[in-house]
Amino acid sequence: MENTFDPDLIHAIFKLIWSRRALERERNEGAEALDCEVGAGTSKKNRRASANANALKLSCELLRVFVTEAVQRAATIAEAEGVGKIEATHLERILPQLLLDF
Amino acid sequence: MEGGGASDVEREEDDAATDLLRDRFRLSTISIAQAEAKSNGMEISQPIVACIADLAFKYTEQLAKDLELFAQHAGRKSVNMEDVILSAHRNEHLATTLRSFCNDLKAKEPQSDRKRKKATRKEDKATTSVVHVPDL
Repeated sequence: MENTFDPDLIHAIFKLIWSRRALERERNEGAEALDCEVGAGTSKKNRRASANANALKLSCELLRVFVTEAVQRAATIAEAEGVGKIEATHLERILPQLLLDF
Repeated sequence: MEGGGASDVEREEDDAATDLLRDRFRLSTISIAQAEAKSNGMEISQPIVACIADLAFKYTEQLAKDLELFAQHAGRKSVNMEDVILSAHRNEHLATTLRSFCNDLKAKEPQSDRKRKKATRKEDKATTSVVHVPDL
């Protein structure tokens, strides 16, 4: 079995980001209504996103491709230099294009 | 202020949860990156792996925001595979790769299974069920 990310882990990270954003949104919307309890606001204005199981698997694949691309491109540079170990300079060389590609 | 105190505690818990997830994510990334380097016949230094892991984590955070917005824009509450493919639309090759992976996933899950999805949700593993974020 090939190495990849655990969909549950990715889901947990997504949930965390989404709930953080939902909280921020609530805070912005309810800026004047400070005395209203925190719990009361959350249930109604809950526009929190959720994710399909296949979508999570696909996200895992996307992230896996990101990591393998980074390593492969850096490996190519290292190989061209005739070095057997990937070092910071190699990553620095490929980083701009990598970030543009993802 | 009670409200202020509660949100502080919440934030602390939130940070702790983030750190835990980041560590778990880092471990996965390290194993993927090292396996990939090995298959290229290369060694990779530890700081570089950690750096790639942090990059990937930042990318995941960005991805989560993008996916939420894409789903919202489509008038959905749930993120689906189209949203993930859309997030890679700038890179045609990447989008194509994801599209074929998406078709593979669909092929593994026949139509009849998808219809029974809700009924068998509890027995079935995560492979066929739709995962929802629980209301807090």
